[in-house]
Amino acid sequence: MSQAGTKKGAVSKLNRNAAINSLIICVVLLLAWVAGFASRLFAVIRFESIIHEFDPWFNYRATAYMVKHGFYNFLNWFDERAWYPLGRIVGGTVYPGLMITSGSIHYILHLLNINVHIRDICVFLAPIFSGLTAISTYLLTRELWSSGAGLFAACFIAIVPGYISRSVAGSYDNEGIAIFALQFTYFLWIKSVKTGSVFWAVAASLSYFYMVSAWGGYVFIINLIPLHVFVLLLMGRYSNRLFTSYTTFYILGLVMSMQIPFVGFQPIRTSEHMAAAGVFALLFAVAVLKYLQSMMSKSEFKFLVIWGGSLAAGLVFATVVALTYAGYIAPWSGRFYSLWDTGYAKIHIPIIASVSEHQPTTWFSFFFDLHVLIATFPAGLWYCIKHVNDERVFVILYALSAVYFAGVMVRLMLTLTPVVCMLSGIAFSILLELYLREEDSGPSEIEGDESTQGGKRLYDKAGKAPKIKHEQVKEQDPIGPNIRSIAAVVLVLLLMLFVVHCTWVTSNAYSSPSIVLASYGSDGTRQILDDFREAYFWLSQNTADDARVMSWWDYGYQIAGMANRTTLVDNNTWNNSHIALVGKAMSSNESAAYEIMTALDVDYVLVIFGGVIGYSGDDINKFLWMVRIAEGEHPKDIRESDYFTEQGEFRIDAEGSQILLNCLMYKLSYYKFGELRLDYRSPAGFDRTRNAVIGNKDINLTYLEEAYTSEHWLVRIYRVKKPDEFNRPRIPVANRVIKSSSFISKKNSKRKKGLIKNKPVVIKGKRSQ
Amino acid sequence: MWKLFLFFSILSLANTAENINSDLINKNVQRTIDLNSQLVKITGTITIENSGKQGISKYLIGFERDLQGSVSYIGVQDSQKNPLKTSEVAVIGRGTNELFYQVQLRQSLEPEKTITIIFEVIITKALNPYPHSITQKEKQLVRYFGNHYFYSPYKTQNQKTEVLVSSRSIESYSKLKPVAQTDSIITYGPYSDIAAFSLHPLTVHYENNAPFLTVTRLERTIEISHWGNIALEESIEIKHTGAQLKGPFSRYDYQRETSPNHHSIRSYRTILPALAHSIYYRDMNGNISTSTVKPHKDYIELELKPRFPLFGGWQSSYILGYSIPSFPYLFKKSSGEFVLNIRLLDHVFDDMAVDELETHIVLPVGVSNVKVKAPYEIKRLPDGVAYKYLDNIGRTVIRASKTNLVEQHIQDIEVTYTWKSHTLLHEPILVSIALFLIFVIVIIYVRLDFSIGKPEHSKKE
Repeated sequence: MSQAGTKKGAVSKLNRNAAINSLIICVVLLLAWVAGFASRLFAVIRFESIIHEFDPWFNYRATAYMVKHGFYNFLNWFDERAWYPLGRIVGGTVYPGLMITSGSIHYILHLLNINVHIRDICVFLAPIFSGLTAISTYLLTRELWSSGAGLFAACFIAIVPGYISRSVAGSYDNEGIAIFALQFTYFLWIKSVKTGSVFWAVAASLSYFYMVSAWGGYVFIINLIPLHVFVLLLMGRYSNRLFTSYTTFYILGLVMSMQIPFVGFQPIRTSEHMAAAGVFALLFAVAVLKYLQSMMSKSEFKFLVIWGGSLAAGLVFATVVALTYAGYIAPWSGRFYSLWDTGYAKIHIPIIASVSEHQPTTWFSFFFDLHVLIATFPAGLWYCIKHVNDERVFVILYALSAVYFAGVMVRLMLTLTPVVCMLSGIAFSILLELYLREEDSGPSEIEGDESTQGGKRLYDKAGKAPKIKHEQVKEQDPIGPNIRSIAAVVLVLLLMLFVVHCTWVTSNAYSSPSIVLASYGSDGTRQILDDFREAYFWLSQNTADDARVMSWWDYGYQIAGMANRTTLVDNNTWNNSHIALVGKAMSSNESAAYEIMTALDVDYVLVIFGGVIGYSGDDINKFLWMVRIAEGEHPKDIRESDYFTEQGEFRIDAEGSQILLNCLMYKLSYYKFGELRLDYRSPAGFDRTRNAVIGNKDINLTYLEEAYTSEHWLVRIYRVKKPDEFNRPRIPVANRVIKSSSFISKKNSKRKKGLIKNKPVVIKGKRSQ
Repeated sequence: MWKLFLFFSILSLANTAENINSDLINKNVQRTIDLNSQLVKITGTITIENSGKQGISKYLIGFERDLQGSVSYIGVQDSQKNPLKTSEVAVIGRGTNELFYQVQLRQSLEPEKTITIIFEVIITKALNPYPHSITQKEKQLVRYFGNHYFYSPYKTQNQKTEVLVSSRSIESYSKLKPVAQTDSIITYGPYSDIAAFSLHPLTVHYENNAPFLTVTRLERTIEISHWGNIALEESIEIKHTGAQLKGPFSRYDYQRETSPNHHSIRSYRTILPALAHSIYYRDMNGNISTSTVKPHKDYIELELKPRFPLFGGWQSSYILGYSIPSFPYLFKKSSGEFVLNIRLLDHVFDDMAVDELETHIVLPVGVSNVKVKAPYEIKRLPDGVAYKYLDNIGRTVIRASKTNLVEQHIQDIEVTYTWKSHTLLHEPILVSIALFLIFVIVIIYVRLDFSIGKPEHSKKE
């Protein structure tokens, strides 16, 4: 600006426009940040500043450990409190980006003597990062289309439920920061493709490095960017800019991603990463060919391309296959297969299929998570295809692949959300630009004011032109002011509905901490069911410090985080056979389970039981997965069919299978429940979750005893008895009498032999006395 | 200041090996041993006679062996209810097993005259559950071991003891005649002409379902802000020290058990100052949602329910915090010094017993000349430094600890310090300067051009 001295007036006007523009952009982004942050606080306001659900508890525990013991001790942390007796090398099996992020925020704040507890940083990290995501989405969309579209996209992503579901306050998980890293990497990548500058490519690879450290979903980036390059090559859009940016990005990204201990040598040894290497090689081949093309005749070149190309391709392919067989390159992992074949996990890896977020997505949840955006994003996609250029190829590929993955797994809805927001932003921006162009067409960012004006006009002249369709509108011919205003109002109404929907979904579906439950009485009073923390706190206070707690793996992280006790299995499901062993113990009868529990040194068994309050996520409802997983490893001992009735039903009432009614999980869940009457209308032992009277009311435990049951029976903890304290009374050795002669079998009392009291006993060879 | 304390305490230890003056006679002793709660509360009146020739101004109260750690509090008053000075002393000719307190009489007792004093003693950990462990449904029985006679270094002419127990169900009690039992009162005596240091074991075995709840550790942090607020936070570890729970805990039986006289502890009441606000009750896993606040006229009653009911041997811990305005507690002397009068220990529950107390008083930034006056003997720990929000200069923290406390120890500690009021603005100014600098840096940065090459549009021009 300082150089522009000649046209002072014009420049100052330009400056003023630019200043107003940037002011508007700043304000809108700031408001998006604030709105995104605020709408994620439902759980904190309704409950408290607390870590939610399951995985966040591990992340929180790891972060607290890192803050307390330092980064290097964290990397070397061997957690002997998990996966007893195996333990877990936490530093090497975790994506440390999340912990480092909140740890460094904590460090900086404490340097300034702002004493924020690490828990509060963890709780509010995801909402804060949602603002950064909005900004990086703005930047990315601006590169792709215009800043108006970018602002739309930023506002969308700030409040869209598909992203909020993973980033409410307290949901301290990798996804919270990873979406920011994802968007920011893409932005830098687009920037580097556009400019061909090494600087932006290096920045992209740095951002990629952050992404790798934060989330396993980095594989999506390292496949999508090569795909982008590959498609550009196919389209004949090779350029030196592309060459520079991809080669720089790939090499630096590769080297840096290998610095994460959990990733290690995977980028050069697993099939998931091979596409990137292949494109890297291809890019060089293309570059060489382009160079040779300038020096060769056409026929020579054709010969070279056909033979040299196929030879090189065959060579590369053969090498990859050979390396795979030799074991240097790992074949596709099971999780990866399950992305292509939705039935794969159910058959081969029940543990993946048992997680609800790995189920295929329903249409309902597309609408639920994206609302109007799911309808408008194809429009944005169509515009991108229509006006295609290098960077729009990228967003097209991004959209297509993300749509596919989101359809396969509910969880991957998260990767679809940003691109939907971007494309919908583009669509809305174009539409509003179209309809709001007045005599002096203002920039599309200030559509808020203009659209309300449009709204006022509508009320004056409503109903005049309802039949005029959009097809006519799409022609660039002048559009009547009425249609303009109607269309604008409809669009704004849609946006308003979208906001209402987002708030409603966030408030009702995604803002439950799930470790604190709330129930509402008929008069609207709220009752808090704090059974989880009650029981976990009991464990932490009243059991030995090294006590080992057996529970289903879902609760492993929570027990470690809240009760600070050793667990056998947890949500890091790395050892299927160990989980299967726990599943086997839960699905065996008591004495068989006791053997397993003694072998595993179990002191306490924890089960979740929702029958009293009607909590549906309890262990009996998850029980079939335990059986399936146990069957996978121990097919001789556990058979899923044994747990069904003859009609193939899973019933817990008197008609249920006897094996089910006597397995450990059943007994522990329903111990003493048969005597409990919940209200006067229902009989004793009525399970509210499954609406049935339990089949086995008279449960006696031989090898375990009830140690603690929480107030609403939600968590039940049992102590495993030591061999010397089983139910039989202990008799000193001297007093032990073996009364084998007078034994009467009670089972067949009708057929018992005749017995004469004080019958004289004849002992051969002795005189009777 | 604490050096002075130390000096005096050393001095007193060195000089106070006392002789027993056998001229004194306990003419009449009336004792009441209250065994209703988890504490043993002994109150009594002693009529002392001087049978010698000289005036005497010191009187010794003794305790039989094995009570060193458990005598928590002793308070002596004269007949007009004026407190008398009492201090622990060693006595020549007696071993260290016994415990003696010396009472400084208001004026010396002339020969042939009598005087009446009233004493109150609280003994902790003197009731032993027997049987030691019980199941959930059983009653909690405890035994008390005491002395039929008033243990005194002097001859006692006439004495009578009443033992109050909490229920009529008394399993057994020692019967040294004359003895009588009516309802829940056992009356021993009158016994006459008992020699000095007489011991005759008294046992009472009875049902006691009062909460046997001990605060095993209490950390009380008091943070003073001259903006007008005092923030208090108590981190409390509690344990049920009654009969251990034997066998399983059954929620089913527990839910059916409705009698309030159960040995488990469901909830208890804490009394807070009437002006307390912003009360929080939480533990390491977050807020504990089961508490109710009931404001009364001159106090706030807080009903605290631990996360789980406490049975024998179970423990729990929590943090209770609140704020109070500083004006009733913080004064400015005419000399410009500030005086803080605040409770060293506050109420946790009725008949409480605190094993270990550590009080931290966080003074404002920039205090000097700190003087501490304790209501009773405390152990001063070395002062600490605390960094609160935006503190770049630390705050002085006064740390004190004491073991074995009861309700009678709820007394004020007095802290005097000098402090300049302009330090109040220290942190706001610091923040303003920091923000100002940030803006200046941004303003300068925006106006600088760091690019190496010339921008393209200027080339075109």
